[in-house]
Amino acid sequence: MKKELVGLRVNGRTHELAIEPSKLLLDALRQDLQLTGSKRGCDDSSCGACTVHVDGIPMLSCTMLAASCEGQEITTIEGVSEHGSLAAIQKAYGDWGGAQCGYCTPGFIMTVKHLLAENPKPTEEEIRGALSGNLCRCTGYNQMYQAIKAAVEAEQKGMAAAR
Amino acid sequence: MYFRPDTLDHAVQVLASSGGQILAGGTDFFPSLGDRPVTGTVVDISGLGEIRGVITEPKYIKIGGLTTWTEIIQTPLPPCFDGLKAAAREIGSIQIQNRATVAGNLCNASPAADSVPALLTLDAEVELASQVGIRRLPIADFIVGNRKTLRQPGEILSHVFVPRAIENAASTFLKLGARRYLVISIAMAAAVIQRSSTGHITDARVCVGSCSAVARRLRELELKLIGAPARAELGLLATAHDLGDISPINDVRATAAYRRDAALTLVQRALDACARGS
Repeated sequence: MKKELVGLRVNGRTHELAIEPSKLLLDALRQDLQLTGSKRGCDDSSCGACTVHVDGIPMLSCTMLAASCEGQEITTIEGVSEHGSLAAIQKAYGDWGGAQCGYCTPGFIMTVKHLLAENPKPTEEEIRGALSGNLCRCTGYNQMYQAIKAAVEAEQKGMAAAR
Repeated sequence: MYFRPDTLDHAVQVLASSGGQILAGGTDFFPSLGDRPVTGTVVDISGLGEIRGVITEPKYIKIGGLTTWTEIIQTPLPPCFDGLKAAAREIGSIQIQNRATVAGNLCNASPAADSVPALLTLDAEVELASQVGIRRLPIADFIVGNRKTLRQPGEILSHVFVPRAIENAASTFLKLGARRYLVISIAMAAAVIQRSSTGHITDARVCVGSCSAVARRLRELELKLIGAPARAELGLLATAHDLGDISPINDVRATAAYRRDAALTLVQRALDACARGS
């Protein structure tokens, strides 16, 4: 397809990209914006490694066009840090070994960020259900569940201390 | 060529003049391409806000074609929608439910489409919009075969209408897959059961999916259920004979015999669940 100008809002910044309208959001992020945190894992919607937020909702950037996202706010793993330092959940993943090879981690973090925004105190079953659209072949998931619980506890303590 | 119309009127005009494939949520569109790039004309209707969301009308609940499955799950709806909501939770993964649309699941018309058995038990209708106007037909007529519908190339599935006559009936949906999440169904069953104040069944709809090219209502079983007391062991009324002319296939996911057996178990459990819930 002939290239067209596509306006994309990514991590709070506006970009004008001259891209083919048939370009996938994942490719636009990785190739045109050099935001290589989002990963291509499977290309058939089964692994979740490419998960980004579109207007705050987790979606698979490998099965949508960049051009479909004009006018929407996209958040990638590069946009989730808080005030220049790692978000609590990113730090907890490091502390608890939630990431091993790390390839799936950005997708997981995007999923978990949304879970905790919707449900600040999820049960283990809710965590498992929320993570069911992301695959990891290293950790066996338990370290991730521990990391998420630790992040939830740290958040609760932080809130208690602030009161 | 790529078009991203922002009104339904514009979208049907573009379709009429340029033809091309309709792109909505894209969760079937892109995986079906495999490694091939998108070619030809694409009419991206994902920006048509006017056909998204759920509206309650006097006689129907009207669901916009671009409503996502997550929106179906999150919208407060009467009990007859519990089955459709349960089906929505089984569609792909959460990320897919966040993007995939009601219209997409119907227009792709996979024999394993999770929403179809529930919508068939609701006697839902589809509305198709084109440059010449709109037409409505029952989903039971709309889906005619494996990935075949009566949608014409210039038509967009704009709304789904669910009659409110049985909105307070109990409903459920059960799916059997090889694992808990992110799985294509081996067999599925949906049921809607309405009972009178005396606890007897006044209306029953039962449907089996993934066991024939198009999900099938079990009309003989439905007739047999009417008048029966809606109690916990209701499922025992369903027998292998009631599966009628479903025609399961042998494939990578299961054998035909296994599917038939699983379908009966799912129907029985669905009836039990409705009887408990009604």
